[in-house]
Amino acid sequence: MTALIKLSDRFVEVDIDQEIVVMRLDNGEFFALAETGAAIWRLIDGRRDKAALIDALAADYAGGRAEIAADVDELLRQLRDLGLLDDA
Amino acid sequence: MFSAALQPSSARRSEAGAQLVMQRESRVQYGPVPRCLFGDPLPERTWQIKGDAFLLRGEGEHYFHYRRGTGVTVERGADSDLSEEGLWLNGSVYSAIASINGLLPIHASAVAFDGKVFAFTGPAESGKSTLVAALGSHGLPMFCDDTLVLDLSDPQRIVCLPGHKRLKLRPDAVALTRASREEKVSRTYDKYYCSPAAGVVDVALPLAELLFLEEGALAIVPIRGAERFARMQDDHQTARLFEAARRFDRATQFSHQARLATQISMTRLVRPLDRSRFRDSVALAASHVTRR
Repeated sequence: MTALIKLSDRFVEVDIDQEIVVMRLDNGEFFALAETGAAIWRLIDGRRDKAALIDALAADYAGGRAEIAADVDELLRQLRDLGLLDDA
Repeated sequence: MFSAALQPSSARRSEAGAQLVMQRESRVQYGPVPRCLFGDPLPERTWQIKGDAFLLRGEGEHYFHYRRGTGVTVERGADSDLSEEGLWLNGSVYSAIASINGLLPIHASAVAFDGKVFAFTGPAESGKSTLVAALGSHGLPMFCDDTLVLDLSDPQRIVCLPGHKRLKLRPDAVALTRASREEKVSRTYDKYYCSPAAGVVDVALPLAELLFLEEGALAIVPIRGAERFARMQDDHQTARLFEAARRFDRATQFSHQARLATQISMTRLVRPLDRSRFRDSVALAASHVTRR
């Protein structure tokens, strides 16, 4: 598996009360991440691959691994579509 | 004694310093002014900002020009309504001066309690001035009406400059708040200057909270998370003046809004727009402010 890497030169972010607001620098669009979305975002640290990310979430959150994996897949897909994520 | 400790940045103004800047920069003289800062002459009731200069055209040939360091110059045409001049000077001109000098004007009215400022914001006609006037009967002095100027030069806290405008109320709001009515604001504007019951504060104070006025069943609801950032997306005239003056790039604008969102405590003050419930909503606001 390959490590998940945020393309940090393409966005800026701020953490407010455990929620994260991200702005794309190319078009100024915002989006917010709360709860598991924010947790996934924080766990994308350039070292973990998808399996390690799911392991980390499964240790902290209730719910089946398959359910967590589906949430992770969906968010990673959205982040790739936004051009904010690279698979090294 | 020699000390190698870092000194505070010179960019960090003293609170009195920011007030003095505004007093100095908003001094007015009369004389001819340019008709535009760039491009075509200005249409009525529009403005331009270029660098450290601001030009506003009011009604007809009534012009207001500001340049940092030289203050405001007003040019009156034969048709200028002088009763409107103070409104222009205290409104868009003052907000532009603040913005060009690195201060942030926001659309809010405020009271002070225990050395801190509680500001109420919302769209035009949402009742900001009326609420602040009524809070005077609960012993809370007015801090500002309609425009609150924030000094952001200290990264650790947000300081408010005391208001420069007199309280203005519609006749029905005067009766509702029992404020002391004075002269009419202008020939065409159906508001009266008023004295708030608990007086006004004239020193700079830190901002305690920004309360958003909304209509609905009576409630106080904290604003948390990403919504605090969203609430800083302000499209009022004061915000447009600040954006035009500062000309931040996207990343800097984000950083600016992120700072406001993380440092300003925010709350929704929801109340019915029903005269029979007005006292209840004022009492709720007063108890919220004074319990802190």
